[in-house]
Amino acid sequence: MSAMRGLTVFIADIRNCRVRELEEKRINKEMANIRSKFKETNLNGYQKKKYVCKLLYMYILGWEIDFGHLEAVNLISSTKYSEKQIGYLAVTLLFHENSDLVRLVVNSTKKDLDDMNEINNCLALHAIANIGGREMAESLAPDVHRLLISPTSKSFVKKKAALTLLRLFRKHPDVMPVTDWAERIISLMEDYDLGVALSVTTLVLALAQSHPLEYAGCYEKAVHRLKRILIDRDYSLDYIYYKVPTPWLQVKCLRLLQYYPPPEDPKLRSDISELLQIIMGNSQDAPKNVQHSNAQNAVLFEAINLAIHLDSNSTICAQAAQLLGRFISSKETNVRYLGLETMAHLAACVDSLEPIKRHQETIMMSLRDKDISVRRRGLDLLYSMCDMTNAKVVVSELLRYLQVADYAMREEMVLKIAILAEKFATAYSWYVDIILQLISTAGEQVGEEVWFRVVQIVTNNEELQEYAAKTVLNYLGSPQYNETMVKVGGYILGEFGHLIANYPGCSPIEQFQAVHAKFNLCSLNTRALLLTTYVKFVNLFPEIKGQVLTVFNQYRYVLDSELQQRACEYLAVSTMQTDDMLQTVCEEMPPFPERESTLLLKLNQKIGDTEDKRVWFIGGKEANLERQEGLKRMASMRMNSTDSTTNNAQPSPTQQKQQPTSNPAPSQPSQTAMDLLAFDDLTISSNNNNNANVPPSPAAAVAAPIQELTKSPNEVQLPQGYELGYNQSLYTSEGVLYENAQLQVSVKSEYHGSHGRLAIYITNKSMMPLDPIRFNAPSTDKLSIQMTGDVPKKINPAEQGCLLLQVECHDMFNEIPSLLMEFNGGNDYLHLKLPVVLTKFQEPITTMDGASFFKRWNQIGGAPRENQVIITAQVPIQLETVRTLLQGFKFGLLIGVDPNPNNFVGAGVIDMGKAGGKVGVLLRLEPNLEQNMYRLTVRTPSESVSEQLRVLLERPLTFGA
Amino acid sequence: MIKSVLIFNNHGKPRLIKFYQQIDIATQQALVQEIYSLVSKRPDTVCNFLEGSKLLGGKDTRVIYRHYATLYFVFVVDESESELGILDLIQVFVESLDRCFENVCELDLIFHFDEVHHILSEIVQGGMVLETNMNEIVAAINEMNKAKKKSGSTTTGSLSVRASETLRAGFRH
Repeated sequence: MSAMRGLTVFIADIRNCRVRELEEKRINKEMANIRSKFKETNLNGYQKKKYVCKLLYMYILGWEIDFGHLEAVNLISSTKYSEKQIGYLAVTLLFHENSDLVRLVVNSTKKDLDDMNEINNCLALHAIANIGGREMAESLAPDVHRLLISPTSKSFVKKKAALTLLRLFRKHPDVMPVTDWAERIISLMEDYDLGVALSVTTLVLALAQSHPLEYAGCYEKAVHRLKRILIDRDYSLDYIYYKVPTPWLQVKCLRLLQYYPPPEDPKLRSDISELLQIIMGNSQDAPKNVQHSNAQNAVLFEAINLAIHLDSNSTICAQAAQLLGRFISSKETNVRYLGLETMAHLAACVDSLEPIKRHQETIMMSLRDKDISVRRRGLDLLYSMCDMTNAKVVVSELLRYLQVADYAMREEMVLKIAILAEKFATAYSWYVDIILQLISTAGEQVGEEVWFRVVQIVTNNEELQEYAAKTVLNYLGSPQYNETMVKVGGYILGEFGHLIANYPGCSPIEQFQAVHAKFNLCSLNTRALLLTTYVKFVNLFPEIKGQVLTVFNQYRYVLDSELQQRACEYLAVSTMQTDDMLQTVCEEMPPFPERESTLLLKLNQKIGDTEDKRVWFIGGKEANLERQEGLKRMASMRMNSTDSTTNNAQPSPTQQKQQPTSNPAPSQPSQTAMDLLAFDDLTISSNNNNNANVPPSPAAAVAAPIQELTKSPNEVQLPQGYELGYNQSLYTSEGVLYENAQLQVSVKSEYHGSHGRLAIYITNKSMMPLDPIRFNAPSTDKLSIQMTGDVPKKINPAEQGCLLLQVECHDMFNEIPSLLMEFNGGNDYLHLKLPVVLTKFQEPITTMDGASFFKRWNQIGGAPRENQVIITAQVPIQLETVRTLLQGFKFGLLIGVDPNPNNFVGAGVIDMGKAGGKVGVLLRLEPNLEQNMYRLTVRTPSESVSEQLRVLLERPLTFGA
Repeated sequence: MIKSVLIFNNHGKPRLIKFYQQIDIATQQALVQEIYSLVSKRPDTVCNFLEGSKLLGGKDTRVIYRHYATLYFVFVVDESESELGILDLIQVFVESLDRCFENVCELDLIFHFDEVHHILSEIVQGGMVLETNMNEIVAAINEMNKAKKKSGSTTTGSLSVRASETLRAGFRH
């Protein structure tokens, strides 16, 4: 390409542009030139190549290239290799996998895959691996597989084919029968060529994560390969990298073994420990240079990880701990970094933290390392190794370090400190001290969830309340201003200020003044919260009512409507003739329901999905428990299945996704926030609730006697064909409920929490008026129904009447409510089922991530709280329709949670009012397109809810929407 | 997997941009700048690993880089790659460049950017390590060049642009 003079000149030109403007001018000129050249029809291959090269250079400099794609496609089918090569390069750099242009490439790529010349095969493979769109995967995967397994393929084609297949599998796992290919692919791990072995092992590493049982054979092969390298020294000398034989392949094999449970076979076990011993032994060699020590350590660290995985309490691990102890004080930063990271792995798995705690001093020092990367690892390790015995030291060290910590690390540190303080608190006072010190130090870096959590814990632990109130008052007394502290202070004093009112310096007026001194510095939200605190003060301390009322009075005229409303209402409540209302409103908050700390959720959220699964998680032993459980289950499945691998094609969710977990009872991330914020609106929301609960509204109350229809719906048969509209209305919010020759009944509905409103439209299609018309929709104690507004009394021909219904769910129900209409003075009746079912009171959840989903899923567990059914669909399954259906039933569909993209995973919360409470719902629907069947699984904490949901979904899934 | 391979110089000017995920050009350039600003501030004595590019995967992403003379070689990887393995791979990449260009320097990468891509494609494919054996890599490149010649392209073979300072002279790690 140095032959392309025009290109060299162009590059030199660009390099001479000293300012961006000049470069831009030159680029624009060239783009215009190339555009006009591309319009000419008689460009030869060389010219096209040259111009495409220029475009590529501009691309590297960061200029958007929006033309030239067709010319690149042209070059690909050139017979000249140099042109073909540039064509492919351009395609891989400039094409988007979903671009329509990819279609144009597929044919020439296929031709090159079939070409006799391997060098063209390679170009094609490389392009597929880089672009990898669905279209390519569907039409080319079989060819790629053929190149991989064909005995006539050269090694350099095979290794590329292996990685290409891997790429296609990652992107579109459904388009190829990888389980059928297992045996052939695994056998290629034995290939003599180490390049092929490396690529194939990489491929198997990915396949084994998705299909552990089918690919179980790879375990022995990996052990065998390591033996050949480490014991038999059977490798091509070319693959020695700075004295270490093929470190990359060793690392891959060692990692592959970590995706399987420790082997049962004692021979295999002893083989592996021999290998690990050899690797540890090798690490004693003094490395000759940096590359040598890098390669050696790469293998060593992976070996230690495997040793920890196999048995964290083995002697090898004890040796490893010693080695790591040396590493973390190494002079070389890379080694310190990896030493700390691997030690965090050890700490996350091992039973006894003693060997690690021996290095506690060094690890704490690493928080002050000059390199932020090392500091982060140090933090992770300290977090993982914290337990009852060293919590005080570790936490106070972290707190001290927080004051000087990098801005980028502070938020995470705050979370970690808060979690450790909660987890390992032995004395309440210690917890309160630490957490308030944390809030006072970190100020703005303290996320809302931290202080919510403090309030929860203080509210739920009576022993804490007095001390917390006292300490927080102390902090408020300091001249330093810290808004989070004011919020905590305001809340805690409002709730528990009376517990300390008799101590010196804590009198009601002093409490009020301490809070109010900061009032004007605070944001509007905080001020609103403080007003609530003040109204609680009025209730707790009548003696300072005067001062507080002055504030309310003043804020009655403030511009912000929220503050104004609160001030007015609180003033009104405080100045009522009796204190009854005030006392009711300011009743002490009940304890919060026990639930998982949102802090952990927040921390774990940050660990997102990567291409490969993590083999361990930062955190203590329990954080890794679930993964280990998953592996154990896999081990037992492996034993049960011995050779019949096909039966177990569907591993359980935990195996597919191993995610961190620790404490019980997860919740939606937002729930705590809701609970805690609810007190903000205490008076307002309680008023609203009262309104909603006041039975019939005045209008209805007056109108009702006239309209009353006493006949029960059960006395009238349901009309034929009512199911059609009824069934459809179950998963739509509006539509026709029933239609016959005389009339049409349609329904519109909206739901909010446990409340719903339905508008029933009745259209008179006949020539006669419907006069009079009366309705009856009986309530039950689980579901109340009220007619509101003007109930239509007559409907003229070709006119429409509208009946408004208010429904409220009080408890789990499975009885479908009825609506009875009486026309023309009892001559005619129509009995319909109202489309009011449990799912109508559901709110979809779409923000839950895979980790939270599976954690919750596992906590609910199997039957009886799980309800599962296999459904044979009577109509062809169409995924799009199913999606609409599930969403119609108000399930939030979670994308990317299930590894199989055809499966649906859904979540929601059903609000069943006062008696039923809120119930979280999880759903998994696995369609089997070949057999036209589904497996439907519903898990909720309530047996009857699970069953009811299953019943509701079963019919539409069977007979189609 | 490897998410991206970048080469840029001491001033943040990109010399090679290769992404193994689909990312639009604006983000690509923003990423180069983000990583440049992270990496260029670090003295050569600190470790070769950085955590969390915000634009490319957040906390689970590792930035692994080496600094040779005027150039930074950066691999952005997820947590399933061995850090030291990638560090070694950068070394293999640079040594392969050095063999193909006979004492490689920044100018070679500028004027023969296509060559650099071809060499990289023999080492990493679709985000996965393809080959680590230098002899294999160089042989594959020679094979390509032979094919080019046969197909009639008049490669002069004189990789004439040369600057006094080669990368090898500046190996620091």
